[in-house]
Amino acid sequence: MQLENSQATTYNDTVIRQFSIMAVIWGVVGMLMGVVIASQLVWPELNLGLPWTSFGRLRPLHTNAVIFAFGGCALFATSYYVVQRTCQTRLFCEKLASFTFWGWQAVIVAAAVSLPLGYTQGKEYAELEWPIDILIALVWVSYAIVFFGTIGKRKVKHIYVANWFYGAFIIAVALLHIVNSAAIPAGFMKSYSAYAGVQDAMVQWWYGHNAVGFFLTAGFLGMMYYFVPKQAERPVYSYSLSIVHFWALIFTYMWAGPHHLHYTALPDWTQSLGMVFSLILLAPSWGGMINGIMTLSGAWHKLRTDPILRFLIVSLSFYGMSTFEGPMMAIKTVNALSHYTDWTVGHVHSGALGWVGLISMGSLYYMIPRLFGQKQMYSVKAIELHFWLATVGIVLYIAALWISGVMEGLMWRAMNADGTLAYTFVESVKAKHPYYIVRLLGGTLYLGGMLVMLWNTFKTASSGKPVVVNIPNVTAHA
Amino acid sequence: MDILFLLIPLSVILVLVILGGLWWAIYSGQFEDIETEGERILHED
Amino acid sequence: MNSASLIGLDEPTEWEKFSHVVSDANHEWESHVVVEGMHCAACAINVEKALKSVKGVTNAEVNATSKRARITWSSDITKPSAWMEALDVAGYPALPANEIFNLDARRKSQRLMLWRLLVAGFCMMQVMMYAYPSYIASVGDMTMDIKNLLRWASWLLTLPVMFFSASPFLSNALHDIKKRQMSMDLPVALGIVITFLVSTAATFEPNGWWGSEVYFDSLTMFVFFLLTGRWLELRMRNRTSGALDVLMRRLPSSVERIQSDGSIERVAVSRLKLGDVVRVLPGEAFPADGVILSGETRADEALLTGESKPVPKMLGQQVIAGSYNLMAPVHMSVDQLGAETRYAQIVNLMERASVEKPRLALLADRIAQPFLWFVLVAAFGSAIVLWSGDHGRALMVAVSVLIVTCPCALSLATPAAMITISGALARRGVLVRRMQALEALTKIDTVVFDKTGTLSQEGMSIGQIRVKEGFDMNQALNIAAAMASHSLHPVSQALVIAYQKLHGETHAAPLTQVKELSGAGLIAESEFGALKLGSARFCDLAQPSGEASSVHLVSESGWIASFDIEEAAKADAVSSLHDLQAAGYEVVLLSGDSQPAVTSFAKKVGIQNMHGNCTPQDKLTFLQKLQHAGHQVLMVGDGLNDGPTLAMANVSVAMGQGVPLAQAQSDFVVLNNQVSMILILILQAKRTMRIIKQNLIWAFAYNIVCVPLAIAGLLPAWLAGLGMALSSLLVVGNALRLSSLPNEIAREV
Repeated sequence: MQLENSQATTYNDTVIRQFSIMAVIWGVVGMLMGVVIASQLVWPELNLGLPWTSFGRLRPLHTNAVIFAFGGCALFATSYYVVQRTCQTRLFCEKLASFTFWGWQAVIVAAAVSLPLGYTQGKEYAELEWPIDILIALVWVSYAIVFFGTIGKRKVKHIYVANWFYGAFIIAVALLHIVNSAAIPAGFMKSYSAYAGVQDAMVQWWYGHNAVGFFLTAGFLGMMYYFVPKQAERPVYSYSLSIVHFWALIFTYMWAGPHHLHYTALPDWTQSLGMVFSLILLAPSWGGMINGIMTLSGAWHKLRTDPILRFLIVSLSFYGMSTFEGPMMAIKTVNALSHYTDWTVGHVHSGALGWVGLISMGSLYYMIPRLFGQKQMYSVKAIELHFWLATVGIVLYIAALWISGVMEGLMWRAMNADGTLAYTFVESVKAKHPYYIVRLLGGTLYLGGMLVMLWNTFKTASSGKPVVVNIPNVTAHA
Repeated sequence: MDILFLLIPLSVILVLVILGGLWWAIYSGQFEDIETEGERILHED
Repeated sequence: MNSASLIGLDEPTEWEKFSHVVSDANHEWESHVVVEGMHCAACAINVEKALKSVKGVTNAEVNATSKRARITWSSDITKPSAWMEALDVAGYPALPANEIFNLDARRKSQRLMLWRLLVAGFCMMQVMMYAYPSYIASVGDMTMDIKNLLRWASWLLTLPVMFFSASPFLSNALHDIKKRQMSMDLPVALGIVITFLVSTAATFEPNGWWGSEVYFDSLTMFVFFLLTGRWLELRMRNRTSGALDVLMRRLPSSVERIQSDGSIERVAVSRLKLGDVVRVLPGEAFPADGVILSGETRADEALLTGESKPVPKMLGQQVIAGSYNLMAPVHMSVDQLGAETRYAQIVNLMERASVEKPRLALLADRIAQPFLWFVLVAAFGSAIVLWSGDHGRALMVAVSVLIVTCPCALSLATPAAMITISGALARRGVLVRRMQALEALTKIDTVVFDKTGTLSQEGMSIGQIRVKEGFDMNQALNIAAAMASHSLHPVSQALVIAYQKLHGETHAAPLTQVKELSGAGLIAESEFGALKLGSARFCDLAQPSGEASSVHLVSESGWIASFDIEEAAKADAVSSLHDLQAAGYEVVLLSGDSQPAVTSFAKKVGIQNMHGNCTPQDKLTFLQKLQHAGHQVLMVGDGLNDGPTLAMANVSVAMGQGVPLAQAQSDFVVLNNQVSMILILILQAKRTMRIIKQNLIWAFAYNIVCVPLAIAGLLPAWLAGLGMALSSLLVVGNALRLSSLPNEIAREV
């Protein structure tokens, strides 16, 4: 296997095609789930009275589908694409790469089945029960072997910065998953966390925030550092800055976790530590954002005509916005208002829909035609339509939840002159109703855009055919 | 905050691992002549 | 290099000079070359592609900044000429890089420094994170075991900083103690060691007499900032050496030698001997310093002089090793080889000069020594005074005193500026022979210029033109220029240039059978019949009176036009002299030429104060008179025959390509032909001294304020470290401002 790979003259794009198609499909599924649960919040009747369709069980299905199914497949697809082309070599260990695809799909399907059935560990973004956790670990170790193995046999001495981001993401997620999912099985699909109480909370949010930092940020920054320059046809604004950005980011992310636990049983000093490091995190995040956006300097006019570039650059603006909002919300006084409110949900979605979603879509729109031997997607107008649907959807979504969240927080703390609470909890819930409708509308538009992408992808794939791409300069060395 | 007895040593090990990675990067010349590298991906084909 | 000369590289003894073996078994070599023609990062990639496309080349790495390429190839499959040719064809000619070992050593030292710095940096960040909770936790918030956990983790991560990152300081200090001398590393090392010991003790035994406070965050922080200063300094130093590399051309590896029997043999340059006659083809580099024996051509001396215009080289003119032959094959004598060549001397000069220090800096150094002793004593003293109280605190106050003194400002202030300015000047073609002269330049008020070769250039220019009544002057000039374009004689060139200045492109005048009669003039056939262009004698005219010489154009029917030949002033002479005078300097012209010639030249360039017919003794006397009158004089000459005058002046500059570097007595050498460099040099010298003074003032002020504060116990260790770090960074940053020179004279205060 090794011999055949080192003498191979073509890239392995099969597994990339598989992951790319599934990314689009799971995107639709995950966003559909989002629309479903958003509707349930507006019309609780939609819970249908059945356990399998209840909000409590469908919500983690939504989060897992969008993060791990949609986001995960997009990361697999793009990382395999980028690592091969920047290292000018074929993917290491074909069979293992194939296993990562089928194994990951198995994880997703297992999640889709087990979560509505009620099997859960109760930890945010780590709900899946222990057998599935083991499968995740196996797939992940294989992923690491394939990815680092490919870098190991690279034909280019320098390891492009995107690969550093992907590499850090892979290693960090492995570490986080193994530590946080440590559990004692008590049955086929039942386990108890190895940690308890506030200790468990600390580990959970050390995991949770690093999942955001490494899965949803570092990984997608890897995507950004490759596809933005490629689509804009200009090199990264400052390559030195990208290296500094990388090291600063991965170093500071580790300790921001406690900001999820302000005003809980966590000791005050731990909360303050989390707050300070979250604020420090602002600098490297914005460094990366500026680096990405300024890559377009001298080529801003391309934004007028190229919708794919628009996806990529707008995603960076949302990245900047979220990485400013986040540290602000990590400040204890601000957090006193925002904790447990819809503002947090709004913040998550500006990052998820705005940054993660748009950068994935832009990157997939770049890759998919090339994977099928086409110069561009079947319909460029459809990309344009998708862009507007997505952007309007995001704006409606986050605006609705900002208003709802701040209102909710204010209502909770409002006191009468005599010191009693001014509002009952139910009153605050009722007040949010209209905003939930607007949020539903925003999410539906976003889903609509994804459906347009699904159509476009299908048309592109069926009117083209899978191509085999030669590795440049390899034949000379044979 | 007993969990820190896991997390703090873990962080020390992590720092050492990161430093190891840095050492490898410096001595294999990853940080030298970096402005060209930004251009390289545009010349892949 | 053309294909013929590339073959010379295919001898193992030849390619060994710029390569070393990677694998004996596979006959794999790694060669280093300098690549031309790369002007952007993307070019580097094209070069790599061109190299890798050659069978037998297994790897190629190109550095766009240093313009160097490293090629790994197998001698079984290919030879250097093959991949050098591939580069030529791709448009990126390359030359062997002959000092790979220097580059390797420099790279190693830079990597090690960066590694020390990053270890300190990352450990510092993590240690500060561990330290932060104890600053913010209120009493009882943190349990003792958590506190200890954080301390042990901090201690662990301080170990690499202490024993690896800080080891240069510690080993220097040890060396100082052994030699019983004082350097700035001694107080710093002492401070670091004490802090470490106190903190380690407090970690493992919080109940000891040293107290229970730990200072790992301060410790890692000041090691990090100290290293940052050193790292920046190393980078600046390497950039200057890098500028050296860019200035230098590599010699070719082989050249055609004319044997005694007249036959031509291509030999390796290393086998040349003094007195050999070699033939240099267009596109080749001159292999040695020498003189043109036959043929005429133009040479590209850009990297040596900063001049990009090709320089005409005629019979008897000197050529420099490493410059390129642009036009035609020439024979030259080999007069200087290897280390005696001009370029080798330039390198030598630069390397020596960058180590010298101006008077002000030497003064600072002398003060630094006793100051450091004072600091040691003060630290020790404050510890004793406070000992009766909290021992740990007493020690840390001593540490603050040791750390806060920024000897860095004193010791870094000047070298940083020196290295930066000499590198910046070198990149512009100005060599500094004596650093002290930079300071002297700031005091001068008079600039004395030599004429020939200094303000005037080789070659001539056309002055007045007289034409026959009724004949169009432009047409006369056109005809003369058209004829003259067939000759490389300086007078002919002057005619061509004169026409071009007025009319741009040369129009083809209707001439046929243009012929140059060597040493006499030119003839041609035209609508006016047979024409002659040349001296009065050649044209059968009566010798005109007066001193000015002329060239005449005559036809069969008689005289058509006369063109006065004048000495050309250098292109920027007029504007530069004007700028000098406008800046308040008195400008004087001294020359050995006849008074009328000097007068007309002085008028042309705008100098009022001029003296002709000066013997070397006259010049010396004049200079002494000026100095007795209280003036500080800068003398600008060509370095050839004004040695004594240059030596007597307060500051001297030798200008031009004829400067004999090894024997030159001047303080500065301007390699290019730009008179404007004089004022730029003066202004940069002022700027440099200003910055050095700023640095030294800052260093003193900072120490005078902070040391008493530290002695009084008012400065916590971390603040002392921060202050010291910022202070040294400030000084280094200030010095870095010198690295860019203005392109033109700006309004400098």
